[in-house]
Amino acid sequence: MSDKLKDIISKQSEQQDSSVVEHLDDVVQLVGFIIGDEEYAVPILSIQEIIKPFTWTRVPQVPPYVLGVFNLRGAVIPLIDLRLKFGLPPKKQSEDTRFIVMRHGDDVAGFVIDRLTMAIRIKKDNIGPAPDTVIGDDTIIEGVGKQADKIITILKVDKLLKRDF
Amino acid sequence: MDEFQEILQDFLVESFELVEKLDEDLVELESNPEDLELLNGIFRVAHTVKGASSFLNFDVLTHLTHHMEDVLNRARHGELTITPDVMDVILESVDLMKQLLEQIRDTSSDAGIDVSACVARLDKITGGSGEVETPEAAAPIEEAEVVEEAPQEDAAEDEDEIDYENMSPEEIEAEIERLLQQRQEEDRKKREAKIAAGEKVPEMPKEEDSQEESAKKEEKKEEPKKAAPAPTPKPAASSANSSAPKDDAKAAAPARKAPTQVEQTIRVDVKRLDHLMNLIGELVLAKNRLIKINDDVEERYEGEEFLEELNQVVSIVSLVTTDLQIAVMKTRMLPIGKVFNKFPRMIRDLSRELNKKIELVISGEETELDKSIVEEIGDPLVHIIRNSCDHGIEPPEERIAKGKPEVGTISLKAYNEGNQIVIQIDDDGKGLDPEMLKQKSLEKGIITEKEAETMSDKEAFALIFKPGFSTAAQVTNVSGRGVGMDVVKTNIEKLNGIIDIDSEVGKGTSIKLKIPLTLAIIQALLVGVQEEHYAIPLASVLETVRISKDEIYTVEGKNVMRLRDDVLSLVHIGDIFEVERILDANEHAYVVVLGLGTSKLGLIVDTLVGQEEIVIKSLGDYLKGIEGIAGATIRGDGGVTLIVDVVALMDIAKNVKASALSEEQNGAANKEKTKPSDYVIMIVDDSKTDRTIMRKALEPMGVTLVEAGDGQEALNILKSGDYNFDAMLIDIEMPRMDGYTLASEIKKYNRYKNLPLIAVTSRTSKSDRMRGVESGMVEYITKPYSADYLASVVQRNVNFKSEFL
Repeated sequence: MSDKLKDIISKQSEQQDSSVVEHLDDVVQLVGFIIGDEEYAVPILSIQEIIKPFTWTRVPQVPPYVLGVFNLRGAVIPLIDLRLKFGLPPKKQSEDTRFIVMRHGDDVAGFVIDRLTMAIRIKKDNIGPAPDTVIGDDTIIEGVGKQADKIITILKVDKLLKRDF
Repeated sequence: MDEFQEILQDFLVESFELVEKLDEDLVELESNPEDLELLNGIFRVAHTVKGASSFLNFDVLTHLTHHMEDVLNRARHGELTITPDVMDVILESVDLMKQLLEQIRDTSSDAGIDVSACVARLDKITGGSGEVETPEAAAPIEEAEVVEEAPQEDAAEDEDEIDYENMSPEEIEAEIERLLQQRQEEDRKKREAKIAAGEKVPEMPKEEDSQEESAKKEEKKEEPKKAAPAPTPKPAASSANSSAPKDDAKAAAPARKAPTQVEQTIRVDVKRLDHLMNLIGELVLAKNRLIKINDDVEERYEGEEFLEELNQVVSIVSLVTTDLQIAVMKTRMLPIGKVFNKFPRMIRDLSRELNKKIELVISGEETELDKSIVEEIGDPLVHIIRNSCDHGIEPPEERIAKGKPEVGTISLKAYNEGNQIVIQIDDDGKGLDPEMLKQKSLEKGIITEKEAETMSDKEAFALIFKPGFSTAAQVTNVSGRGVGMDVVKTNIEKLNGIIDIDSEVGKGTSIKLKIPLTLAIIQALLVGVQEEHYAIPLASVLETVRISKDEIYTVEGKNVMRLRDDVLSLVHIGDIFEVERILDANEHAYVVVLGLGTSKLGLIVDTLVGQEEIVIKSLGDYLKGIEGIAGATIRGDGGVTLIVDVVALMDIAKNVKASALSEEQNGAANKEKTKPSDYVIMIVDDSKTDRTIMRKALEPMGVTLVEAGDGQEALNILKSGDYNFDAMLIDIEMPRMDGYTLASEIKKYNRYKNLPLIAVTSRTSKSDRMRGVESGMVEYITKPYSADYLASVVQRNVNFKSEFL
């Protein structure tokens, strides 16, 4: 009797486990934001926080897209302007400008974006690979998420956080 | 007796720790009897305790552990399987061991506990004889053996070749030979004695041990007393607790009571200390902030009663924070001897390998340093000492020929000097020849001929730290790849340290490493350039001087000044850190004289902000390795200030061409105007109506108009650089920032020097006009005015092209 019960329980828990896994595997949660005219997204779990802009300190001898460093509750964190990084002309910070603080392992950096859009749940099936032209080791594009009315470029956080100068 | 107490304390601390671990391990062993690793570990515990206790003459404990060791040894060699029965006996003996240790702790003696029953059971397992030996009976034999062996072990572990320096290789060789024989003789006798006594103790492993030990034991035989002071394998722990436990032990011994012990030392995970240090860092930052706020409040509420109270609190907080910081820093301190200890052996090996005679003299090994520095300092020292042995000290024949003593001396010294610790490595070898160094560097293309000519001897000595530099004709085992000294430089600089070399050909070389006591918190001088601030470690600042521009001369495209009898080369901090010269430079500038070893450099800055205690934070992986920046700190106001890396700065400075201090910068506004809307004019007025009136007056011209509601807003628009203004119309009375202030602020900026500022106001008095002129206004229009008049004034001031009219 008890063996049977055990069997049943273990089967149940197995099912549960796999369904949870499936569920997690199925849907990716992203946070979307706008830079220039394009919408981009990064996985929600790689975002430490999103804050309103405040002052930063310029650092010499870095490319223009590295604005400098800022103080995030006692930690000194680099600040990167994604507009400049993507080769767009600089733009004044506005009401909508935000710093997204992203983390990958021990690497942390703040990124300046033009505007947040929303948190997005997207099915894995709806994420295609990056276009052939940008595939390679250096690409910062993880893939392209297709949605009903638009497509979103999903960025690789580890590549964003990697120093490339 | 003091010494003995100290050793005893160390022994107890160590033993209790070991025994505690033993319990866990044994339990695990029972469920996992095949685990050889575990078994070996347990064996070592018994062995260590046996060794130490015999050394301290605790016969009963020695007797017990010796038999435990036998059992475990057999298990270790697979001659015995650990059955639950066997385990019972082992556990029993461990319990007894604990009792004995407690007894020793309380009474300093292990008498009074009967271990014979347990020993008998242990014996039964090993020998199966079951013959009950009494400790008294066994003692003579056992003691003879273990007492003999244990001290050697300790010596071997901790006191590696203390005396090599005093002996020539031949002597050492002979000594080893003699001791080896003696030892073998003893062993043989002992074996015979044991066989005679009917003991079936497996001899082989011990035989191996003793062989090894005997090879190392000459120092023990030579100076048994020297081996005594430090038998603990953990010098770090012992140094930390050495003073306190000693007293406690003395106090406890006469009492012979109080079995509930107070732990004398606690081992703490380094991570916890690091975390504590970080927290202190935060506290120091908060303290700085508090002081800043206190100053502000003091200014604003001068003479108020609560101020005194606030002052008191702030100074107490500041005092306690400083004390706390020092206290925590001290917990992280380790004696540098920990690093020095490995060098006698190294020197011995090297001198053999190189066929040289070298003596190492160590002093100041008790000097304490932050743990992280102690860890980093080892490698550089190894490289420097290897270098001294290989390149510095000459072969004996050469030394004799030169009339020097045959044996070369390398002395390793550590001492405190102010906020720094100095590690000095001297040798009496052949010294560095600056000409030869330059020649070699030229050959390897490290320097140019011109550089070689102007190079001072000190600078030439520093060449040995260049990557790729090597004077060795061929790569040997010891050195010659041109990597080692580069490692030294990188590591020392990582520690914010300074390297200072002195050398005289034929006499020897002296290398001094000056390293800050701690890495985390330093004193810094804060300087300002334009709108930016930088922190310079105060340890590198020699002095500050205020100079006027005329005192700066240009020699070969580089700025220099006379500082008393010296010529000091100057570099502007703005040139190094690519600071945009927005603000007009003052007639006066400050020069911060930086000193590194013997080289000096004057750093021109705009302002001196003051001295502050700063907490060094890393810029992180993303921004690491920026030339001239050592890190960042967070200031009282929450902003980030970059810390100048003086070493790198000196390097950069050599390649920076001087930019004339008062560089002519024409505003970018001089672009060719092709249409009326290329002209941009700002209207600054707090009244919407007034702004509209002005707009109406100027719109017909077709120029671009930008409005601002007050001085502050106007300044922000100007600073943002979105527009290149050709003129500004400024009202005088405005909230937040009035017109006069706005005008004088604008005039501070180089690029707006020629921007026409036109006052538009209802103030008509002469003094108002005067103030307007003083603050930099070029025109003064009084309200009310006609639209045409305003337009014409503006046209005149912006050089409005007539074809647009």
